[in-house]
Amino acid sequence: MKTLLHDFIQVRAAVYQAPVPMTHVIYGYPTIKESLAWMETLLAQGVDILEIQFPFSDPVADGPTIANACYQALINKPDLSQCLKDIEPLQQAYPNSKILFMSYLNPIYRFGIQAFIDAASKAGISGTIIPDLPIEQADDYKKNCQQYSVTPIWLVTPATPNIRIKKIVEQASDMLYCVSRSGVTGQKEEQKERQKENALLSHSLKPNQTVLAEYIHGIQSYISDTNPMSLAVGFGIRTPEQVQALNGVADVAIVGSALLEAYNDGGIEAGTELVTSLFPYLN
Amino acid sequence: MKSEQGYYGQYGGSYIPEILYASQQQVLASFAEARDDPAFLAELHKQWQQYSGRPTPLTHCENLTNHLGGAQIYLKREDLNHSGAHKMNNVIGQGLLVKRMGKKRVIAETGAGQHGIATALVAARLGLECTIYMGAKDVARQYPNVFWMKQLGAKVVPVTTGSQTLKDALDEALRDWSANYEDTHYLIGTACGCAPFPEMVTFFQSVIGQEAREQSLTQIRKLPDRLYACVGGGSNALGLFTPFVDDEVELVGVEAAGKSMALGDHSVRLSHNLGSIGIAQGFATIFLQDDNGQLQSTHSIAAGLDYVGVSPIVAHLTETKRIRMEYANDNETLEACTLLLKKEGIIPALESSHALAMAFKEAPIMAKDQHIIVNLSGRGDKDIFNVAKAFNDAEFEPFLQDYLADYSLDKESVL
Repeated sequence: MKTLLHDFIQVRAAVYQAPVPMTHVIYGYPTIKESLAWMETLLAQGVDILEIQFPFSDPVADGPTIANACYQALINKPDLSQCLKDIEPLQQAYPNSKILFMSYLNPIYRFGIQAFIDAASKAGISGTIIPDLPIEQADDYKKNCQQYSVTPIWLVTPATPNIRIKKIVEQASDMLYCVSRSGVTGQKEEQKERQKENALLSHSLKPNQTVLAEYIHGIQSYISDTNPMSLAVGFGIRTPEQVQALNGVADVAIVGSALLEAYNDGGIEAGTELVTSLFPYLN
Repeated sequence: MKSEQGYYGQYGGSYIPEILYASQQQVLASFAEARDDPAFLAELHKQWQQYSGRPTPLTHCENLTNHLGGAQIYLKREDLNHSGAHKMNNVIGQGLLVKRMGKKRVIAETGAGQHGIATALVAARLGLECTIYMGAKDVARQYPNVFWMKQLGAKVVPVTTGSQTLKDALDEALRDWSANYEDTHYLIGTACGCAPFPEMVTFFQSVIGQEAREQSLTQIRKLPDRLYACVGGGSNALGLFTPFVDDEVELVGVEAAGKSMALGDHSVRLSHNLGSIGIAQGFATIFLQDDNGQLQSTHSIAAGLDYVGVSPIVAHLTETKRIRMEYANDNETLEACTLLLKKEGIIPALESSHALAMAFKEAPIMAKDQHIIVNLSGRGDKDIFNVAKAFNDAEFEPFLQDYLADYSLDKESVL
């Protein structure tokens, strides 16, 4: 029997007395071999949750950093079935970490929802994130996740109305992905000005702890004792101060675009350095 | 054509990032109210008439009819709209909806630039801030349109990600909307995207078919036997077809077969079973994609038909055999363009010339007392560079070189 994702996160958070690290890697970028080596390095470094993104040709929820890496990864023609086969030995080698799978709906839909969840479960994947699949359209997906013990991870955003947060929380289990600001992953120069007003976590400003805490507490208020879940915060996290700001507020800190930028600038070495600086309590 | 909860058969729906949920709900609610509001509809018709020049005529092409020796050929003259294409019908409609919702800014994607120009025109008239996303390759190919958008006060953002064409411009516009949903409306140019966009764009475009229906009854004293329209996203086709969908009128859609039937050389999604069902860019439809569900690149001599997906309404009407889908390649399209120029003195857009090509192929085998209407969705002035190149016009290259030399000289003398 697998440890439930929520229990796993709570145990780690209690040990760290700080947010549990979740790091993001794109399968196939810059090559399949190098991406697998990068994943293994992160797991060896002790990262508790590894999010693996399977690239898609139209990544509408991702900003330029991740989108460009996805396009580059697609040149290597990654295959979803092979991706799951490649994940399995990683999970077996690092049983103390959890692997989450993220992709857009179409590659999964074309594979077959049931076939995919079945294969993901066999590969040892704990949860799946599909940013363009809203809860209303997800009956088949939810049913299969339940059957194969894979956690469907739903997103909540600052634009989500309260009545809908309640609805999402009721359908979720174990873990919620709380988007910290409007927009897409990473930062975009020409949109920064427009986004500033909405930013709860902005690396150019001092983290607005009060607003962020209010947002997270608002979500928490809908979570019942009978269906407890951990809250992961992502979008725009790139400094140790931002991770610290989540202490006592959220359970998991997700680092995506910033880690990819570090990797692009200085390879595995720069990537691991960023992880160490953001999460000095690892190991 | 009303949807079932945003679906047309198995196509359509709403597959958007969570951040856009509330904005989409607002568009759904505003459109549902506006479509039944007599005041909104009165303003819409007033703007269509006074700003865009509607109604557009239904032109009988006697010379062509005699030349081809079959069915009577009529053209629905959407090329005579302000801005030279049917795009204006939808942009006026959504522009008025933006004012109704109290938003201050519009964003749009554009391929060739026709929808971008139409959006920039209406934004200028309604006093809205305007940003247009356009693939970097399209910016380079269609600079005159970019120039006008900028002069109209719009900000044009070249999209350098992915294939740097229309599909990527659409992705980038969705990203902008995700960041700026509070004051921004995404003014989608075709009958694609999440609900209610396919239904809403079809609603605003169906003025084409409503007029054509009335004009047929007046001018030919009956309904036409067959309609032809090109299909990129599908908005001009649905605009002409939907008011006839319950009539005994055959509906023929024409896709762009490009240079060849090899993947990447064409935009044939429906008529040759080259596409397959997928869910991307906010909705379910037939896409050109590979085994891993990755959307593929497309080609057409007409930038407006160069799109990887198609309206969910067109996909559904094709599946239920209400629309017959055909295709025309780049060469057939240029021949049809030439024939219309020579016989009727009308310069068609290369998009619309695809519909002409199929109509000209089929008209001769129809009876003389049968009538067909081809949607002339846009005028061809914009295509001058592409057409001159395709026709191998001997004078055009020296003209460009001389013009460039003069242009540099003039600039120097100004400095």
